[in-house]
Amino acid sequence: MIDKTVHPASGENVEAVLRDELARGDAMAETVLPILRHLVAAEDSSVFSDEILARVRGMLADIAASLLGGALGGDEGAGSAAETDETGILTRALIDNPALLSHVHSLALEWQLTERMQGRFAIDPVVSPLLQALISSPDAETQRLAMTFLAAQARWCQAQRRMQLPLRELPGDLFHAVLLTLRALAVRTPEIAQRAAQAEAAMRQSYDEGAGRLGLASRLIMSLGAGAQAALSVTHGGVALFLTALSLGSGQARDVVVLSTHEAQLARLALALRSAGLKPSAIEEQFLALHPEVTLPHGFEGVGRDFAAAILASGRYSG
Amino acid sequence: MMVKDGTILARALSDGEDRLLSADAPLSGLQLRCGGELPGTIAIPELLELVSKARRYGFRVARAVSAQDGAETVTAWVEVEPLGEAEGCNICVRSWHAVPIPAEDSTSAESRRMLTARHLAELSAQLDARQRVLAVVSDSEELAEAAAALEEGIGRLWTDILSLKDVAHQQPLHWRLMDGASVTVPGAQRAWRVTLIPHMQPGFDPVGFELLLLSDEAASDRLDILPVQAAPLVPARRSLVGQDIAPVLKQPISRIIANAETIRTRLAGPLPDAYSDYAGEIASAGKLLLELLDDMADLEVVESEGFSTAPDRIDLSEVARQAAGILGVRAREKGIVIEPPHQTDHLRAIAEFRRVLQVLLNLIGNAIRYSPENSHIWIRLEDMGGQARVIVADQGPGLSQEQQARVFEKYERLGRSGDGGTGLGLYISRSLARAMGGELTVESAPGQGARFMLDVPSDPDAPEN
Repeated sequence: MIDKTVHPASGENVEAVLRDELARGDAMAETVLPILRHLVAAEDSSVFSDEILARVRGMLADIAASLLGGALGGDEGAGSAAETDETGILTRALIDNPALLSHVHSLALEWQLTERMQGRFAIDPVVSPLLQALISSPDAETQRLAMTFLAAQARWCQAQRRMQLPLRELPGDLFHAVLLTLRALAVRTPEIAQRAAQAEAAMRQSYDEGAGRLGLASRLIMSLGAGAQAALSVTHGGVALFLTALSLGSGQARDVVVLSTHEAQLARLALALRSAGLKPSAIEEQFLALHPEVTLPHGFEGVGRDFAAAILASGRYSG
Repeated sequence: MMVKDGTILARALSDGEDRLLSADAPLSGLQLRCGGELPGTIAIPELLELVSKARRYGFRVARAVSAQDGAETVTAWVEVEPLGEAEGCNICVRSWHAVPIPAEDSTSAESRRMLTARHLAELSAQLDARQRVLAVVSDSEELAEAAAALEEGIGRLWTDILSLKDVAHQQPLHWRLMDGASVTVPGAQRAWRVTLIPHMQPGFDPVGFELLLLSDEAASDRLDILPVQAAPLVPARRSLVGQDIAPVLKQPISRIIANAETIRTRLAGPLPDAYSDYAGEIASAGKLLLELLDDMADLEVVESEGFSTAPDRIDLSEVARQAAGILGVRAREKGIVIEPPHQTDHLRAIAEFRRVLQVLLNLIGNAIRYSPENSHIWIRLEDMGGQARVIVADQGPGLSQEQQARVFEKYERLGRSGDGGTGLGLYISRSLARAMGGELTVESAPGQGARFMLDVPSDPDAPEN
C-alpha cells in the first residue's frame, strides 16, 4: 500500500516512493510461489497448516483483545465496531514482533502435538503418568508444585481449545514487548494514553512470570534435579513437561525445542535428546513415539553427549 | 499472584543499581567465587540480567539461572520481585543444583589463552622462524621507545633488544621456554612479559612467531590514582618477603608448577606412570611453596610494628556464613557438611570484616583438611558479654594438651607433613585476632575433635544480639 502520510508535492519524493513500492511488490511477488507451493502441498502436520494459522491468528487476536480490554476498560460499548477495529490494528502490530509470533506459533504446534499424542497413546493432555506420580509424592513441596502446574496446564488446554492465550501466560520479555506495543498505539489522545498507562501499571503489578504454566513447568523440572530425566519420555512425562525438560536439558529455548518436534527437524530433535543425556536406545524410543516412520541414522549411537551439544550449538537457528 | 508457598533456599536483596546488598549462602558464595563482592555489583551474569530486567520491566520474573564458578556449573531457579521505581529487587532462590565442570581440553584452553593475550597485548611483533624481528606494531606511549628500538633492530634477534630477566642461558632458548618470561623493556615503568605464539603446522617446526608484550599492571593513567588508595599503613618499613622476595619467586614457581602439570597430564606425549607421578609431586611441592610465600608475606605484615586492623561494626553470623559458603565446595569433595549459624542468628562485633573472614577461612580450612570423610563441622556463635565468640568445631582426631600448647607456634606442624600445610596459618590467625583486641584459643582432647574459638570485642551499641 502507498503510505498516505507522504506529501506528493516533491517529484523526487514520488519517484522514491514508487521505486520503494515497486521493490516491495517485486519481493512479495517472488515469495508468492514458494509459499503457495508449500501451502498447497502441505498436509495436516505442516507448520503452516490451516489449523496452525487459525490458532496463531486466534491467539494474537485474543492477546490484542485482552490488552484493549484492560486499557479501555470494556465498559463502553464492548464489541462495538470501533473496538473491533482497534483490535485489528493492535493484532497487526503484534504480528510485527517476530519473537511473539514464533512463541505463539510454537504454542500452536505444542497443542497439535498434545492432541496427536492423546490420539496415538491416550496420554491425557493435563495429567501425564509422571505428573500423577508427582502429585502422590511424599514430599509436600513437590506435591504442591505439581498440583499448581496441573491447574495451570488445565487452564492452558481449555484456552487452547478456544484459541486463546491469557496475557499472564506470556514469558516476561514478550509480556513487556506487548505492553510497549499497546503504549505505542495508545498515544493518539491523552485520555486514552493515560488510561492505558494506568492499565499497564496494574498489569505489571499482577504479572508473575514464575506463576505461569511455562514458569511452573521449568520450576517443577528443576526441582526434580537428576530425576528430571524421567520427563524426557514424551509418553511418561506428557508433552508439556517433555518439552520443558528437553529445553532445560539441551540448553535451547523452549520455542526452538517445540519446533524441533516437527518432522523436518529430526536432526535437531535427535541431537537435543542426546545432549540432554538420553542414551541412544532411549532416543529411539522417543522417535518411535514422535516419528514412528523414521529410523535414526546408522552410527548415531557413536555420537557422544558433548559432541551432540557441540553440533547443536553450531546450528544457525539456536533461538 | 506471586507463588508464596514452597521452600526458599536463599534470599537476597539488590539496590537500584543492581548491587547485591545482602545474600544468603549458597548465593553469597557463588557471588564471591564469580569475582564479585558483598555488598557489590551482581557478578553472576545471568542473575544480573534477570534482576535488571525485572527492574526495567517493573514486574516479577522467574527463571533458571546458570553460572560457572570455576569448579562447578550451578543451575538455580530464581524469582525476582522489583520493589518499585528506582528501588532494588527481592531475590529468592528456590532450587540449587551443582555439577562439576568437565575438564576443558587443552587445545581450546590454549586457543582461548592466545585470544586473551592478543586482546590485551600493548605491543605485537612478527618474528621469523629464528625469532628475528620482521615488523612491530604498538600504540602504547610507554612502549614507544621499545617499539622504535625493535623497528631499528629489524632482522636481529628480539632478545638482543628486549633482554630476558632471570635467564642467564645462551640465547636463543627454545621458544617454549621463553613463552611467558619477563623482559626488561627500555623506557617502560611497568613490568612486562612476553607471549610467543608460533605459526606452525602440527608436527613441523614453527615458520614464524607472533611476539606479544603484556603487563599485569594497569596502564599508567590508572596508576596515578593507585598510590593514593594504597597509602601504606606501615610507613618506612620495607618488607623483605612481601615486597622483595615473593614477587620475584612467584613467577618461576608458577612456571615450575605449570610445566610439571604439563608433564603430569602427559600433554607433551606418552610417559610411564612413575614419571607422571613424580611430576605430580613437583607440582604439589610448588603449590606448597607458593602458599608458604603468601603466608610469609602475611606473617611479615602481622609482625610489623605498626600493624593495625581497620575495625568496623560487623555481624559475625554473616562472616561465618560467607566463610562456610566459600569453602563449601572443598568440604563437599570430602563429603563433609559445614553447619554455619542460622540466618536469624546475629552477633554484632567490632572487628575488621576481611581479617575475621581470613581467620575463619583458615580455621574451617584446617577442619576440612584434618577431619575424616562424611563428618560435620559446626560454626557456632556465643555472646560472652564484652567479647563475641565464633566457635569452629570438627570431628577430627583432636589435640592433646601438649599439642594444644604448641599448635599456635610459628612453623608448628605437629609432626605432620605432605598434606599441604605451612605451619603458619594458626600463628597468623592468632596474631590477627590479637591485633583486633581479641584472642584465638582451642579446646580439644584426642579423639574428641577440636573447638577453635575466635573472640573479638562485641559491639556495645548493637540493638540486640
